[in-house]
Amino acid sequence: MTSISRRDVLKTGALGGAGVFAASAFGLPFRKVSAAEAEDLLKTQQKFVYTADVMCPAECGIAVNVVDGVASAVYGNPRVPYNAGTMCAKGCAGLQMVYSPTRIKYPMIRVGERGEGKFKRVSWDEAIAFIADKLTSIKKRHGAESVIMDSGDVTDRDTYWRLGFGFGTPHCTEHGAICDTPRRHGPKLMFGGKRVEPDVMRPVLVRQADGTLKNDFSYKTKLIIYTGWNPFTATRINYESRGTVGAKQAGAKIVVVDPAFTNTAAKADQWLPIRPGTDADLFAFMLRYILEHHSDSDPKRRYIDWSFKKSSVGWEEFEATFRQWWKKTDPVNGLNYFTSEWAVNRTGLEKVQIEDLAHLFGSTKPAALIWGMGSIGHQYNGYVASILGVALNVITGNFDTPGGAIDTELVKGSKGGKATGKWMRSRKVKRKVNGVVVEGKMDELHMDHYADWPAAWDDVVGDYPRRFLDGVTLTQGPFKGHKYPIKAYFLRTGNSVITGSATWKWKEALTAKEANGDYKLELMVYVDTPFLESGLYADVVLPEASYLERMSLADVYPSHQVLWLRDFVIEKQFESRTPFEIMQTLAKALGDRGDPDIKAEDFWGRYKSEEEFWTEALAGSPGRAHAGDPLPYPKLPKNYKLVGTPDSLEVGRVTIDHKKKVVKGEPVTVKWMREHHGVAVWPMSWHRYVNGGVLKTGTKKIEFKWDWKDGTKRRGRYAKYNKLLEESAVVPPGIKALGWDRYPATFFWFEGMWNPHTNKAYAKYRDAYPFQLINGRVHHAMTGTQGASWLNILSAEDLYRPLGEERTVNPVVVGAEGVQKLDRQVTIGAGKISIGVIQMNQVDGDKLGLETGDLVVLENPLGKTQKGRVSLCETIRPGVLRVGFGAGGRFAPGAGDLMHYEKTSVDANELVDPKALSPIMGQPAFVNMLVNVKRA
Amino acid sequence: MRENQETEIAQDSAVIDRNEDRRRFLAKFASATFAGLVAPAVTGEARALEVAQAVRVPDVPLYSGLDEEDVLGRMDRDLRRALQKPVDQRNWTMVIDLEKCVGCQGCTIACIQENKLPPGIVYRPVREEVKGTYPNVAKRFTPQPCMQCDDPPCARACKAKAIEKRPDGIVKIDYEKCEALKTCIPACPYQAIGFDAGGFWGDYVSGEPEAYEKLDSLEYGQARSRAAKGAPIDKARKCQFCLHRISSGLLPACVLSCMGRATFFGDQFDPDSLVAQLIRQPNVMRLKEEAGTNPLVYYLEGRMQS
Repeated sequence: MTSISRRDVLKTGALGGAGVFAASAFGLPFRKVSAAEAEDLLKTQQKFVYTADVMCPAECGIAVNVVDGVASAVYGNPRVPYNAGTMCAKGCAGLQMVYSPTRIKYPMIRVGERGEGKFKRVSWDEAIAFIADKLTSIKKRHGAESVIMDSGDVTDRDTYWRLGFGFGTPHCTEHGAICDTPRRHGPKLMFGGKRVEPDVMRPVLVRQADGTLKNDFSYKTKLIIYTGWNPFTATRINYESRGTVGAKQAGAKIVVVDPAFTNTAAKADQWLPIRPGTDADLFAFMLRYILEHHSDSDPKRRYIDWSFKKSSVGWEEFEATFRQWWKKTDPVNGLNYFTSEWAVNRTGLEKVQIEDLAHLFGSTKPAALIWGMGSIGHQYNGYVASILGVALNVITGNFDTPGGAIDTELVKGSKGGKATGKWMRSRKVKRKVNGVVVEGKMDELHMDHYADWPAAWDDVVGDYPRRFLDGVTLTQGPFKGHKYPIKAYFLRTGNSVITGSATWKWKEALTAKEANGDYKLELMVYVDTPFLESGLYADVVLPEASYLERMSLADVYPSHQVLWLRDFVIEKQFESRTPFEIMQTLAKALGDRGDPDIKAEDFWGRYKSEEEFWTEALAGSPGRAHAGDPLPYPKLPKNYKLVGTPDSLEVGRVTIDHKKKVVKGEPVTVKWMREHHGVAVWPMSWHRYVNGGVLKTGTKKIEFKWDWKDGTKRRGRYAKYNKLLEESAVVPPGIKALGWDRYPATFFWFEGMWNPHTNKAYAKYRDAYPFQLINGRVHHAMTGTQGASWLNILSAEDLYRPLGEERTVNPVVVGAEGVQKLDRQVTIGAGKISIGVIQMNQVDGDKLGLETGDLVVLENPLGKTQKGRVSLCETIRPGVLRVGFGAGGRFAPGAGDLMHYEKTSVDANELVDPKALSPIMGQPAFVNMLVNVKRA
Repeated sequence: MRENQETEIAQDSAVIDRNEDRRRFLAKFASATFAGLVAPAVTGEARALEVAQAVRVPDVPLYSGLDEEDVLGRMDRDLRRALQKPVDQRNWTMVIDLEKCVGCQGCTIACIQENKLPPGIVYRPVREEVKGTYPNVAKRFTPQPCMQCDDPPCARACKAKAIEKRPDGIVKIDYEKCEALKTCIPACPYQAIGFDAGGFWGDYVSGEPEAYEKLDSLEYGQARSRAAKGAPIDKARKCQFCLHRISSGLLPACVLSCMGRATFFGDQFDPDSLVAQLIRQPNVMRLKEEAGTNPLVYYLEGRMQS
């Protein structure tokens, strides 16, 4: 039996144990079987594997039951505190994605025009050779920087980035670039973090006064304000469902600020139906109110906890600049900035509502001010709001306090180590620029960071269509003046055509041709499990193993260091391959073609098995500073970096490097994970930023200023970008449009786009386009998982409803020739499946003489239109329309039944302005648009 | 540990369908124990493997060792305690806290997955009500499984006498006896019963059942193949509190998956159980009390927010 691997043990464990007992209980005869015989038996037995979901980026810990090699059911893994056994509808529908007839089954090469969906089945060898030949040729003619490696909408990107960096392109990106960069901006700028979430993940493992570790289930929060954040329907953070209602029952007050009465609002104590695009205005008012009404002597108005000053720099500058705005007059409403009158005019809320909110937030502790993805993350000026949000949480003493606001990026476990191959970005490369050979780092060829978007630390996927059409001219850094086209786009598990800014612009860019008839973008490779819209535009399509067929590490946002493994659960379906295998074969093929950069020792010569790769990736985990209170390991030195398994750190099986300030226990491995229900949990603590701790700023303090001189040293996160600008004397167009010549040294303010209520430039559209169009995520109806038909029977928030008309259609599958319509016809009855609909207030519907289900045309000032059905309701602010993101206008087989409703449901992004890229990080302003409504 | 398990199994025999063959009987026992196993060990016992294969109870030993304060751990212990009693001394009860239900409908799909439900049948819909006018609006979600009535109108309406109230409270549809008369369906005041018309999710695109639909359904602890066109096709179907799971020491699928941790389960005859405590709360209610059905599904009333 010793030859059976750990995984076999996992699957036999339960069976064998059960068998022993059942047998002994009933006196059945025993017969020993050999190890080989047992293995054979096991192949046909059910087994359970602990793994990580990928139906959405929440990547919950799951336990999958397998019967005769078929995944039978997916359950939440109770030992992963992030989801604690829970599973949402989408997670439960995973089997339908894994066994979907619209999965990509074989490698395919395009035979029709891009967009037609006509392909021929080829072997993996042919597909890889096709890609490798093209990449080699492009690299020779234009340089590796002409290739983009977009690892798309799920987070296990490591192997693809390693391949991209290994090949020599700095353009390795992922979904984050089009997710919510303005929302992350404040936390990154000021903490070095990313996502601020309330302290409601329970349980958390906490060191007790007696030295033991105990799971703490108690909620400390007294107030949560969710601004444009809807965890119950647009879930990204699993624990905020049970955590929010749990905290509420424990006495917390919940306030939801959102133009729509979301399901989260339905559970809140108060709903504030704010006008879209004015979250920054509300936050600015709150900060002014708190500064003006704070009193050190009156306990009811002791809003500010001055201890924040010990852990921060630059508050004086920030406050002074903020106060300078108070005297200015707003050209839109003639009022002074940030006063309650001004905020009432902007937000459309009542004075008493916003003043109560500011007082409530200032006087309630602990509290958490949370801002969301669909609002601040998708607004042109979302940066302003996220910076103010950080400031509000910090000065009120709520940052990383028990029951307060946690920057989850700072405290989650680090994983991956060098897996992404990031170190290769500093390789030296030479380019001839204007006739002169220049040497620099590979990274300095980056199309965003050294050209129009220096501060876009998550890249600018929304700007790719322009790059495909116009190419790149570097304007910053050593390669200033270097021009190159974008010739290859490698898209893996993303669906940029639907999610990466304006759909029509993406289509235009992907199908644009040179004068000779060749496509401008010479190569598009699409790698995924379902076959989504972007795949229709690809030259080569590769089937990636589904999340139950591959290994990697979940990348999520718990409140402390918790890591879990994605493991092999079932055999790979059809001809799919894992990301690791794709990396290895493509790297080898490039190497065989004489690629000068790809090295055997980084790829095929280095790893004998996939498990080795992921074990290496785990070696640096959890990799965070040992910080906070109560200190996770009282016997280990504070503020040293912790590496190693929870059990080795617990008992002190460690080596301590005092020079490097690292405590090293036994490394976390795939094997260790499997032996521990697939999850590693290190203890939680709070105030982890005190004396530096987990902060990732240059000063190891919270920074309220972003470019200043400290003696001879230039400090602050914007300093390096401003240095580039000074050297080049070129101001990037995004910030130039704001009238800036540099990134601001501290607090800044600018207005949103396509908002006549806050920006004078758009006042002229007010009458002709009377509706603000926003969108909301429907968790179970998103672009990649729409094909799961169980989810079509559900509805959500007047965004996704069974209003589809009767349709007789030919079902579509993905076969050897791409998209194949079957001869068979089936009828989808009226009202049988949910489709994305247009949420409209009843009052507006009455004015237009509309009824629920009526088909209307939305038209924006750019002349773009979309047809969809209205859902009239009381749950949205009048004058605002809301549609589901990715829940309509779909036309690929991976959209499942919804693809038959392309013309009667709205693709929100068809109406997005492709030029409305937020000025600092280039996030598409998905929620900034105006439309009018006409009956279709 | 092992002795406890023996007790648990021996007394669980009451839930076993009398028609089951010995192999399945053993198999169920096997599953009851592996739910509680702490230290899995490899063994080379062929018979045991065969037995376990026949069971196909889709679960894992998930809960053992969870904290006392963990509501899952608490319910897990309640369940085990109940399984050690004779079947007629348990009263399986579900409590749904409407204040905590976040309306995600995860339970609806967890249930479809668990019971291998075909298109057209939903055991646990989440009903949604919206009241008021903008901006004074309120919304309530009500998950609505079979109420497992003490006096089930469906059983009275069934001419084939296929619906029985089990001694542990669960209302069972006996697929062997169901004659597809459908008289039970309109009789249910909660619209909890559906009719299995024989469709598959794979019919529409693939033209045949998908891989996961070919696996056995395990309702009532009986492994049945819908793909082989047998029962429960052409039978009335409804929620049975995942009897196959609870008799194996596992919580119903909707209870485990609940995103709001709003659904609780256990034996209300056990005064120390969580559900017994919850149904003593003042804000407890049941649906359609006036119908006199005396349901085993209780709700903690959520405040309608406005």
